[in-house]
Amino acid sequence: MAHRKAKVGAAQKLSGYGIIAVLGLLTIWLLFQQTRFNPAVLVALRHPPLPGRAQQAVSGQALAATAALLPEVPGFTPLAPTESYGPGNLSDKIDGKDELYLPAGFKEMSCRKFSLDTAADKTFVEVFIYDMGSAANAFAVFSGQRRPGSPSIPLTTNAYATGNALFFTQGRYYLEIVADRASQTLPGSLEAYAKAILAKIPSEGGQVNPALLFPKEGLTPDSVRLLAADVFSMEGLNNVLTAEYHLKSGNATAFIARRDAPDQARAEARRYLDFLAANGYRKVQTPPAAGDISVLALDNSFEAVLVQGRIMAGVHDATSVDAALDLAAQLRPALKERP
Amino acid sequence: MKRPTDEERLLSADMNRRDFLKRLGYASVVALAAGGAGLALYDSKGPASSQVQKALTGLGDYTLHGKSSGPGKMAIVRGTDRALMCARGVEALGGMESFIQKGDRVLIKVNAAFATPASLGATTHPEVLAAVAGLCVKAGAAQVLVTDNPISDPDSCFEISGLAGAARAAGARIIAPRAALFAPVSLPQGKLIEDWPVMAGVFQGVTKVLVVSPVKDHHRAGASMTLKNYYGFLGGRRNLFHQDINGIITELAQLLKPTLCVLDGTVSMMANGPTGGSLSDLKETGTLVVSTDPVAADAVGVELLGRSLADVPYIVMAGKAGAGQADYRQLNPVRLNTES
Repeated sequence: MAHRKAKVGAAQKLSGYGIIAVLGLLTIWLLFQQTRFNPAVLVALRHPPLPGRAQQAVSGQALAATAALLPEVPGFTPLAPTESYGPGNLSDKIDGKDELYLPAGFKEMSCRKFSLDTAADKTFVEVFIYDMGSAANAFAVFSGQRRPGSPSIPLTTNAYATGNALFFTQGRYYLEIVADRASQTLPGSLEAYAKAILAKIPSEGGQVNPALLFPKEGLTPDSVRLLAADVFSMEGLNNVLTAEYHLKSGNATAFIARRDAPDQARAEARRYLDFLAANGYRKVQTPPAAGDISVLALDNSFEAVLVQGRIMAGVHDATSVDAALDLAAQLRPALKERP
Repeated sequence: MKRPTDEERLLSADMNRRDFLKRLGYASVVALAAGGAGLALYDSKGPASSQVQKALTGLGDYTLHGKSSGPGKMAIVRGTDRALMCARGVEALGGMESFIQKGDRVLIKVNAAFATPASLGATTHPEVLAAVAGLCVKAGAAQVLVTDNPISDPDSCFEISGLAGAARAAGARIIAPRAALFAPVSLPQGKLIEDWPVMAGVFQGVTKVLVVSPVKDHHRAGASMTLKNYYGFLGGRRNLFHQDINGIITELAQLLKPTLCVLDGTVSMMANGPTGGSLSDLKETGTLVVSTDPVAADAVGVELLGRSLADVPYIVMAGKAGAGQADYRQLNPVRLNTES
């Protein structure tokens, strides 16, 4: 049996030695690197029980009831699955803006991204539906973000449009439909989507229009707000309706806070007057016609406070004492009509 | 006739079944031995750290020559063309070559907090990122990395905001957050940042850090600009810090000394921040700030929002903590207008 003698050339030997040398160098490098481990990697590997370590994420899970209210509408192509958020992780979606929603009774939110395809281009659209627990809470977050100068639209009792978006409430829900650009055809498309959502939201009776509570003379259109918590920087002063006024005697903000009983309204008024006094406000003498309206001032800012049944009301940051008294005088009969 | 040795058999082409089985046996023994040795040496707990290495105490000082105490430099550029404003602003401070040297590994921190298009102004504008990253590459940076830690799906945030595309076009690489990049950090004498997970891993091998931010209203902090952008390095349930938003931003300002900051107020979000949503929340404020001092940059930005330092307390607090100069005029800023 013939055997072939193996022949190993010089080049092959050299290549072999070279590979062994490279492997040896790699081994030395690895050993050297292990002696000077990055401390950041060390601590990362240790996984200490940190107080701030992320919880098991629930973001993005569409388990919420609001998710079922987001319809698929022809022309709107979903770009991603529906995401849902609760009070514990709302900030994962809207960061620090959750501070607006949480004190106002936020329950859950679902949102979804779409591409609105037209012959001309593709528009990015995102739809948000917030369950705020009650119509009043929904109005609080709606009015708290009201874009000045944007026209109201007849979509619902509380609805307005900007160049690229619709904002409205329906029952306990606050909704936003936001596009990334404005166009001539966009409003019609967004309204079509809005109507499809409204068809899925259960009706909860007539919508309250808080603007009707305020006297009309001098009222700035669309300026009525419901402030949920710590109103006028006073801790615990919650659920206060405000409205902006331009009067001949100056500018001012009217406010109305409805409480459960007249005693509560009187106690709240006393607490607010004490709060003002503690912050440097001084009592201003008022004419006899002002009756039981208390007026306080600090520099050129005037406050007026009155109680009507179970409503505490008044004027905030008026630019003159006359403006404060004029607006307070208008408020009282308006409140009498709506006990 | 001489019997062939094993070596001769192996090198010959006429291997029989017995030879094959023998070779298979040898190879199996060697493989098992190697695998067993690896298993025996495997340390499932990982290396133990010493007490000194318990937590990092900062993210680093990336100011030129590591001297963060000297007076900063600032250019305030007016205009509408973001790329041009960036170029002119950086040029006024000596050109990017004075900040980035050949071979530098540059990390750019952007604000990619939301998966919304750039037109809504909630994130760093991709044109600014492209301009800054491009200048770094041109200056000779060996690598340009772009990062942020949006809690919401990072890939969507980078893609929909246009930042991923801008990074790719400029030759930069996106570093998305992942668990291995986070390490506990404790700020010495800090009250809030104590053993808190921070994205420290992205700084490994980095020699220069740039912070590129938009100018925005922020419901809790008053404004979100350069210093608030550092918030994106935090991991964990960082929304807990919203209770002391000024305190946490002041502490973050002490963790990192960046090489250069670019604050884009070409269009600013004046209301309903930090998310915005309506184009009517935005206003053309026509200003871009290039500064080595993040506190001073934010002091300019707050004016673009029509507010004062009293409205955004963390700026003065960060200044007092040594993170920069809240009175930006002390830096004698260079003022330019790209449209005149």
